[in-house]
Amino acid sequence: MKNDMLLEVRNLVKEFGGVVANADISLELDRGEIVGLIGPNGAGKTTLFNCIAGYYRPTSGKVLFEGRDITGWPAHRAARAGIARTFQSMKIMPNLTVEENVMIGAFSRTGDRRIARGEAQEILELAHLQQEANLYPTELPIAAQKRIELARALATKPKFLMLDEVAAGLNPLETKEIVQTLQLIKEERNLTLLLTEHVMEFVMTISERVIVMAVGRKISEGAPEEVAREERVIEAYLGERYAKGT
Amino acid sequence: MLLPFVIITDLRKMELAIELILFGILMGLIFAFISLGLALIFGVMNIVNFAHGEFLMVGMYVGLLTSTYLRLDPFLSLPIAAAMGFLLGIASYRLLIKDILRGPMVAQLFGTFGLMLFLRYLAMFIFGPDIRTVSSGILVGKSVSLGWVALDLSKVVAAGLCLGLFVVVYWIINRTKLGRALRATSLDAEAARYMGIDTEKMNALAWGIGGATVGIAGGLLAHFYYITPTVGMVFILIAFATVALGGFGSISGTFIAGLIIGLIQVIGGQYLSELKFTFIYLTYFLTVVFRPRGLFGW
Amino acid sequence: MGRILGDIFSFGDRPVSERIGFIVFILIILAFPWTVKLAYARAVMIKFLLFALFGLGWNLIGGYGGQVDLGQAKNVGFGAYATALMMFHWKIPFWLTVVPGMIFATAESFAVAYPMFRLRGHYFAIATLCVALVWKELFVFWDWTGGARGVEIPIKSTPNFAYMQFGAVGYHYFIFGLFMAQFLFMNWFRKSKLGYELQAVRDNEDAAASLGINVTATKVKTYCITAALGALGGSFITVYYLYIDPDLVMPLDLSILIAMTVMVGGAGSIWGPIIGAAILIPLDMYLGAWLAGGGRYGIDFMIYALIIMIIAAREPKGIWGIVERIKKSR
Repeated sequence: MKNDMLLEVRNLVKEFGGVVANADISLELDRGEIVGLIGPNGAGKTTLFNCIAGYYRPTSGKVLFEGRDITGWPAHRAARAGIARTFQSMKIMPNLTVEENVMIGAFSRTGDRRIARGEAQEILELAHLQQEANLYPTELPIAAQKRIELARALATKPKFLMLDEVAAGLNPLETKEIVQTLQLIKEERNLTLLLTEHVMEFVMTISERVIVMAVGRKISEGAPEEVAREERVIEAYLGERYAKGT
Repeated sequence: MLLPFVIITDLRKMELAIELILFGILMGLIFAFISLGLALIFGVMNIVNFAHGEFLMVGMYVGLLTSTYLRLDPFLSLPIAAAMGFLLGIASYRLLIKDILRGPMVAQLFGTFGLMLFLRYLAMFIFGPDIRTVSSGILVGKSVSLGWVALDLSKVVAAGLCLGLFVVVYWIINRTKLGRALRATSLDAEAARYMGIDTEKMNALAWGIGGATVGIAGGLLAHFYYITPTVGMVFILIAFATVALGGFGSISGTFIAGLIIGLIQVIGGQYLSELKFTFIYLTYFLTVVFRPRGLFGW
Repeated sequence: MGRILGDIFSFGDRPVSERIGFIVFILIILAFPWTVKLAYARAVMIKFLLFALFGLGWNLIGGYGGQVDLGQAKNVGFGAYATALMMFHWKIPFWLTVVPGMIFATAESFAVAYPMFRLRGHYFAIATLCVALVWKELFVFWDWTGGARGVEIPIKSTPNFAYMQFGAVGYHYFIFGLFMAQFLFMNWFRKSKLGYELQAVRDNEDAAASLGINVTATKVKTYCITAALGALGGSFITVYYLYIDPDLVMPLDLSILIAMTVMVGGAGSIWGPIIGAAILIPLDMYLGAWLAGGGRYGIDFMIYALIIMIIAAREPKGIWGIVERIKKSR
């Protein structure tokens, strides 16, 4: 038996009309793990995210969080249970200041504006955003906006954080910063992380374990170095020819 | 002894039913055609033209004015109404819509609202709030008999013309190169641009055609409906209900929905005439809440 | 407790210039009846305050919530009719009639809100329009509401606090009192958890949900509050005009006007409703009335419509949005 299983996905299937985006996915995450979810475009990674976080209702299968069946729970309920996520396409609130954006997250745990503001300020410090607190997110570069989204998600005091392509569009320096920030946050707040990524350097460095998806299925799982060498995985990304060549 | 009595009342009921259905279909054809412009504009660029009813009103006034001042039969002035509608549509696009398309949805909404108010009060300013009617014309005030049913000639001709023109527009959209360009723009404007389609021209054209069709509809309505600056409001809600029921984006859906709305209007009006519009509003509401796609939309 | 009072009365997050400007505004309004005696001017001022009041209520769902509601007139009608019918049939004093009106508006809004908020954007706006029109037709159709004839309230003596009957000066302070109460309520609202969550929903629903916000519930709550506030304004209309009918208190034009006024002024800002009303009412009551005297109707609304179109095309955040843009570029 696992020591402390936080998330379990059992035989998850998600269909859209005739298209099967997720076919029979099962996985487990222990508390405190950092797990990377990789796979070529169209593998169904974001669909899986959305099924776990409550944006889609799975066609069949189960999602269990801390032992509770949360399958089909709407997004806000999953959030209250302790699941936080960031989005691939930036979803900041443009008409609220940076601080107010983060406060929204904090409001999920309190009804008092002052407490929410205090929480927000603490997290802004962690994310190196205190200077920009009263600016509007649209005035800041993409890398900063990603930190805002991250800070906002953290303000909900989650147990589990899902990051959807958080390193996309960042230069190598910014990517390193994100890695450091995430590791720091993970330690301080005892988080479990699940990241989906295309930036290999990032995900392979930070993950303890990697799950590979392709065409809606899970095709491999294990330590980053091992998974990267598997023929199946290379085939999924680069096609048969390259796989055979290894 | 009572049998002849029963037969007579049943016959009356059947007569009434047939009359209502015929009348409903006539109005339905007209409603469908009125709504066509709205559906077209929405299909091509995803914007709801709240001023659509006012374009109709302009068409009605064209009919009135040419009849009163030019002594031109309102039926013969239909091409003028079409031209006015076309120009009004294109002008609206070039002067206003083009700019608000770039903005948030809220701005689009109240931009066309502003256009609606502007046209309505412009008409109020020029013509005053009085209700006018067209008094003479080859179709005005005459009726035609279909068996025992007496129908307004103007309504029959209007319905027939609406049907014909609906088919014409449908043919243009689905069978010509121009129509294909319009459809491409409606599916994916950016991709259409990459294929060399001038989407700006397509947008303006959608507004032009939309305006022209509803201008003609207005000219036809002028034969039998009252003409006043505020008449647009009545028809835009009918048009919304029709396009919603048919499915925003489906031309053929608009046609079927128009017929249904026409029947609802006429039958509802027969039994509860003060609330005949309520049925239309409820139709819209129930459609978008329980079947947002409408009957044929995507 | 002190915190709540602080939230209601403090405008600390607004710059000093705005705070001073608002105080000047209040002083002008307070001094108005003593300096201006002309009956027409007084009526214009009361109408301005009334529309600002309507705008404040609408600003919650339409401005901070970003949901364009084009059916607010139904709520105005509910309040107006509740007061009118209860006063007319059973001589119930004003303040006891206000509560049933607000409760009915809230309950009705709650009932239609859940299905309606499944819709977005244009579809939602048209749906609100349809609901309001259905109610108006019903009120015209029903006999017990007086039908198209409406309800007329015969009141004999003035002044009268039970039925809120005063001279013009009294009504001025009455409507101003209601206005200030709603303004302070809005001030509290925008800083409350619901206010913040509502703005989050307006800006990005998916993100809001990911932060634990029940998007639909937030919209519904706000919509109901707006409804109650609209009903309150409707009750005022009854005692001010002493005559109401569906065309006066529930017409589509009123809904549109309330919404457009706030959008022109600046939806989602605290000053927007005031600015919008300050432009529309004088335009209508002075320019419009002057030209109408000469038989020319409609110029005032033509100008207003032009303003609406220009704002839609250039600065969707309204006049206040333009002001803020100018301030920023300094």
